[in-house]
Amino acid sequence: MRRDWINIALAAFVVLFFIFMLAPILVVVVVSFTAAGYVAFPIPGWSLKWFGNIFAYQPFIDALLVSFQVAIGATLLSCAIGIPACLFLARARGAWAGAIMTFLLSPLSMPMIVIGFASLFFLSWLGIGISFTALLITHTVVCLPYVIRTVAGVYAGVPRSYEEAAAILGANPAKVFWHVTLPLIRPGIMAGSLFSFLTSFDNLPISYFFGSSSTNTLPVVMLSYLEHQFDPTIAALSTLQLAMAVVALIVVDRIYGIDKMTVAG
Amino acid sequence: MTTIMRRTFLGGSAMLGAGLLTGIGPRLANAQTGEITVTAFGGVWEEAVRKCFVAPFEAKTKAKANVSLGGPPQWLAQVEAEPAKPPVDVLIMTPDLALTAAKADLVDDFTVEKLPNLAKIPQQLTDSVKGKGTLFDYGVSGITYNKDRVKNPPKSFAEFVDRVASGEFVASVPSISYAVTPIMLIWSMAQALGGGANNVDPFFKAMEKMKDNLVFWAGPNDFFNHLSSGEADIGIYFDGRTWNHFDSGATWIDFINPAEGGALNGVAVQKPKNANPLAWQYINEVLDAKNQEQFAEIMNYGVTNVDVVYSDKLKPRITPWQQTQFPPYEEIAPVRNEWVDRWNREIGR
Repeated sequence: MRRDWINIALAAFVVLFFIFMLAPILVVVVVSFTAAGYVAFPIPGWSLKWFGNIFAYQPFIDALLVSFQVAIGATLLSCAIGIPACLFLARARGAWAGAIMTFLLSPLSMPMIVIGFASLFFLSWLGIGISFTALLITHTVVCLPYVIRTVAGVYAGVPRSYEEAAAILGANPAKVFWHVTLPLIRPGIMAGSLFSFLTSFDNLPISYFFGSSSTNTLPVVMLSYLEHQFDPTIAALSTLQLAMAVVALIVVDRIYGIDKMTVAG
Repeated sequence: MTTIMRRTFLGGSAMLGAGLLTGIGPRLANAQTGEITVTAFGGVWEEAVRKCFVAPFEAKTKAKANVSLGGPPQWLAQVEAEPAKPPVDVLIMTPDLALTAAKADLVDDFTVEKLPNLAKIPQQLTDSVKGKGTLFDYGVSGITYNKDRVKNPPKSFAEFVDRVASGEFVASVPSISYAVTPIMLIWSMAQALGGGANNVDPFFKAMEKMKDNLVFWAGPNDFFNHLSSGEADIGIYFDGRTWNHFDSGATWIDFINPAEGGALNGVAVQKPKNANPLAWQYINEVLDAKNQEQFAEIMNYGVTNVDVVYSDKLKPRITPWQQTQFPPYEEIAPVRNEWVDRWNREIGR
């Protein structure tokens, strides 16, 4: 009897916790369907016009494209740099390997606004200035730790004997990587890529400093819009982003399984 | 099935990534002569800038003006990072940052020789940013209220404080996290209550009296939500934003410029040193009376060219800048951190 009460209390706590977490998001979703020209809850009527407004405001579309380009680019570069680094460092012995790993993960411990501000001055000094290249480099710096952390975590759990067995059976290092290592670390790569993409796509503090007429990302334009406009277009855009994230998670779950990726992370 | 999906997904992702990355090339070769980059805030602001300033500039010069969206701290940092080759040719700044740019010698002097329309801008507004720019647009922070709940609104800051303190209204005021709070609330109310930049005690005493009937807004949309939800009846807010809400359908909202005068919140235009000289022609368009009239009509904010004639709709909404309090930005800058610290200790929200 006492156990039943504990279970009921626990279930009630979990339900309340989820309501607490999800209610603000639900309010944003509901407000995005309002017929009013301003943000108010409860809403006076239903309309899809704010979703139409997203596509009518060209800077949102331009910025969305830039956000996709930089997020995909930074994720690919992070994988290109991070995966070989992990494979080497995870098997390396000595304090220097740990030091390099810590160095590669260090952007995680720095406030992003500091990285953005410092990168602006450093890259301007190098002559790269305010450009898509500068934006891509800086986003890669902050995305890299997510790929390294997850891939290194998975690779550390792969017994060395698997690769040794393949080598003994005649596989060269490239074949060992392609047929043995890569399939085993793939969940880590997917998890790291997903975190990397989302970190870049949602990033404001870094993108803010590299914004220009051709390099503004969606969060920068959303902030600028939000400060000087009162209509619910931002709520509609947030709902759209939420829907995209949910669809991405469903697709990734169908292909790799969220459980595997969670374990990898 | 799963294998096919995986391969399709990976292959598709790789192609998409490669395709999108080809966008890098054209960006690197984007700089052209006869092209300038101007700045604007997002939303209706950007649309007004394109319509009122960019379009006439492009029509007259046949040059192109790209619009960079963002905010003054971002643009100032970008100009500081590359003063020899500034990435923006025209700056839109808050007066305090305009003064910072002027003091750092990052921006050019404004003269009538370069800008014929400058002759139509009151000298005080150009002097306010040391002659290295001028104010072209302004708002006033005053008393905004819900007409349905406040039938007889206070006419002055002093009356506002007394009636909020007595519990007649719940007021929404900007929190210290909002960048302009030291100007639009602390200095403005201190000034109205007999203090000033060197004495903000009257403000903190007023806040102590009102504390049980105050809520705080962190951003302009919070304020509107407070008023629309009934969480607050009245508050300190901007005139232009109030009228924008009114025009969006919130016809229950109204604004009063307090008897002591609300704080003027200007927007300055500046040209970074070494920026494209075409920027002068663009800025001249920004200062043009007809263009400013059109801008004011869209934005519901006052503009500064003396030849501007507001429409009948706008006339009762615009507070002449002479009836506002002009914040002494240079006096406020050295004591601003002290005020923030005192706010955190005494008010804490």
